[in-house]
Amino acid sequence: MLKDVLSPVLDKLEGLGASYAEVRAQENSNTFLTVRDGQVEAVSLSTEKGAAIRVLARGTWGFSTTNSLARRDLEKAGKSALKMAKAAGQNVREPVELAPVKAVEDKTGVRFKKDPRNIDISTKTKNLLEINNACFDFNKCIKSVTVRYADLATQQALATTEGTYIEQLKMVVWNYCWVTGKRTGIIASARDEIGAHGYELFDSEPPEQIAERVSRRVVQQLEAKTPKGGPFPAIIGTSIVGVLAHEALGHICEADLTLAGSALIGKLGQKIASEHVTIYDSALIPEGLGAIKYDDEGVPGQRTVLIQNGTLVGLMHNRETAAKMNMKPTGNARAQDFRVPPIIRMRNTCFEKGNYSFEELMEDIKFGYYPEAFRGGQANLDGTFTVGVQSAFEIVNGELGKPVRNIGISGNTLETLKQVDACGKDFGLETGRCGKGQYMFESSGGPPLRVKSILIGGA
Amino acid sequence: MSYIELCEKVLKSSEKLGAKETEALIVVRHEIGVEIERAEIKTCSDVMDSGLGVRAITNKKIGFAFTNILREKEVAKTAKRAVEASKASPKDKNWKQLPEKRKYPTVKDTYDKKITRFTSDEAVVLCQKMINTAQDLDKRVLPAFGGAQVTILESICLNSQGVKASDKGTSLVCSLGTMARSKTQVSPMCFEFKASRRYEPDPKWVAEEAARFAIDAINVGKAEAGRFPIMLDPFALQSILTFTLVQSVKGDIVAQGRSIFKNKIGKKVAGENITIYDNGTLPGGLLSGKMDMEGAPRQKTPIVEKGILRSFLYNNYWARLEDRESTGNAGRGGGGLSLPPYGTIPNISPTNVQLTAGSFTKEELLEEVKNGYYVRGVQGAHQSNPETGEFSVALAPAWRIQKSKITHAVKGAMIAGNAYDMLRKISALGKETRQVGTFVAPKVVIGELNVITN
Repeated sequence: MLKDVLSPVLDKLEGLGASYAEVRAQENSNTFLTVRDGQVEAVSLSTEKGAAIRVLARGTWGFSTTNSLARRDLEKAGKSALKMAKAAGQNVREPVELAPVKAVEDKTGVRFKKDPRNIDISTKTKNLLEINNACFDFNKCIKSVTVRYADLATQQALATTEGTYIEQLKMVVWNYCWVTGKRTGIIASARDEIGAHGYELFDSEPPEQIAERVSRRVVQQLEAKTPKGGPFPAIIGTSIVGVLAHEALGHICEADLTLAGSALIGKLGQKIASEHVTIYDSALIPEGLGAIKYDDEGVPGQRTVLIQNGTLVGLMHNRETAAKMNMKPTGNARAQDFRVPPIIRMRNTCFEKGNYSFEELMEDIKFGYYPEAFRGGQANLDGTFTVGVQSAFEIVNGELGKPVRNIGISGNTLETLKQVDACGKDFGLETGRCGKGQYMFESSGGPPLRVKSILIGGA
Repeated sequence: MSYIELCEKVLKSSEKLGAKETEALIVVRHEIGVEIERAEIKTCSDVMDSGLGVRAITNKKIGFAFTNILREKEVAKTAKRAVEASKASPKDKNWKQLPEKRKYPTVKDTYDKKITRFTSDEAVVLCQKMINTAQDLDKRVLPAFGGAQVTILESICLNSQGVKASDKGTSLVCSLGTMARSKTQVSPMCFEFKASRRYEPDPKWVAEEAARFAIDAINVGKAEAGRFPIMLDPFALQSILTFTLVQSVKGDIVAQGRSIFKNKIGKKVAGENITIYDNGTLPGGLLSGKMDMEGAPRQKTPIVEKGILRSFLYNNYWARLEDRESTGNAGRGGGGLSLPPYGTIPNISPTNVQLTAGSFTKEELLEEVKNGYYVRGVQGAHQSNPETGEFSVALAPAWRIQKSKITHAVKGAMIAGNAYDMLRKISALGKETRQVGTFVAPKVVIGELNVITN
């Protein structure tokens, strides 16, 4: 067992003066496939092995990695991390402390039905080629299709000087399409991204369904007109509302960013949104890519309410920020892989449902927009957020109107969340990848949401 | 076994297993760095990442495998997996061959021995200097995030067509993101950095600039909507053009019919004052080197000269498809999943994209704007539409220009427009350039862009 290798390394580091140390050892095996315009680019297979070692000494962190799980190499990396911590801790004013957690021993893994490692490559490439073909068949204006696939299996062991030892299997199956169409000199494109914990992803998402969803957006974009720029009422669709939760609130609720001076510093317990707004970040939605039993510090995954009926009630923590703010860790410490240390990341970030039907949400809007699918998003610490929209419609006199091209929406968290005046009863969950120095798979979602006024960036 | 010997072993075992062509790439990255968080030195790290990527081709079928375990046994296994992957891959009718041996250029200032001797203690000193400088400048400034880091990157590439080369580069980056707050205002994150291939740290300058921007960003006043001339900083320009222009000049995007520039070589696509090179041999350039990530020589490629579209960027695969030579733009890694450089087959990546400087001083640029905005950074540029060039981005940070003077910061405003139209409407270019990411550019003035406000 790996524990027998890791424990003596941790003992040694403790003996050398580490106040805390952890080893996160991983073995990864991955498959990557890309099909461009019907051509498989290359079948790509990988195996990786490595360990991340984090050491706390003199109140600061030292970090080092190794690509070997042999005791000697782990010890060498551990000593390097300790040396780093001691170098960093030369003049610390506020030493890092860790909120207490119960030591856990467990062997667990994410739930899935079909292990992608047991599916042969020809089945996977065939599936991608079917998506490719179905896109081209959808409409003759479709000119270019790129489909990308990855399955990533990570067997992880986390051991700490506090006695935690957790073996965890992580698994993601991911599919991404970029489709471009052309008609009378106009070019337009659309993207689609889905993910699950197992190959069952394609049982609920057959090739035709993926192809139709993304190709339909391309055709719409070719017919779309340019939106007006300015503040307008909007209904944020279920495929994009999660990105709003993630960008408009999520990032500045990550306690490392809150403490760094985000727009929410000092706002806990205050009303920052309309009473219709409840937002949570949960590790307990099994189909979400942010479903985890433990985070990468060994803290159990949980549901963390951020805003309850308009009041800021929680933040997302690792053990360090929890200690600093005298709160409980929430299980949000996640690392991309063994090359990097864990940082505070979202899991599945969602708006809570309401009870309006889609028609009811629309009926009072004379003129506004319905952003339906996203292209990406970005947040700034001062609360400025942007969400790029790849597909949107006008709302005219309470009904869906014509499609509009490529728009961006932007706002400030503290202003925009006050503008939410109704939530729908449907619910959608979207797959996303988030970059914060490291990339991370997560999900986000919610119901369709009505916003009285949001800034639409028209061309 | 040395890295070269490991690569040679890969070529041999792969050939034995029936591969017609094989390529072995080893990339070794060593980073020492210190991170700043909330005005404290927070984490110090020493990270070594190395790995091998093997491309094997059997009967026009391409397979790829990679590993980070550089031991003889695992290396042989990786060669075997690459051959197996190629056999499982459908035929690529477009496949011609791997790059051939060509002469490499001499590129200056990409490696500095002094950086290889850099220690964590020196990084701590640089970081402490940045923290102190920013805080001493103004008590309202919080040095929120930042750090000092050196990277030593070595790549070794061998293939069965005779390429056998290696390149080694160094870099040092000091960066600081600051926020300032007053009773009523919080600035956006204001970021400054200095990156160099040689040991030339300037923590004082980085901290002063970052802090000044944050202080200037809390003096917030009114933003007016409408069409205005805009002065774009290289930071903002880089964001907008990376996700539009740079995508559309990649040879693969053009070949797939996804580029607005298809069939436009020799045609006017920008103002006469616009000249853009991709220069992989720029002395001291952050992405300069003698070879690209599949062993083809780096070069200086004209993209746009005096407004006329001259060339696209190619790696070996897409160049051969069009019977031309690679422009030395093979990049690796990323792939939306942050894969290491040895973890993907080559893509097409820009090196140092140089927008040639003009003659305007900063005062003359402000004169050119008269009544408009100065945009240092934009948010949301990665959501632009590369096919059409359409973008709509939030401004952070940005300032109002009135009577040719920067008067106050603005918040909550957006600009929207078309990046390709924008290239025709640049009315002035500054005379000083700096490198931000892949871009080396001056400040520019865009004749008119749509500003949207609340």
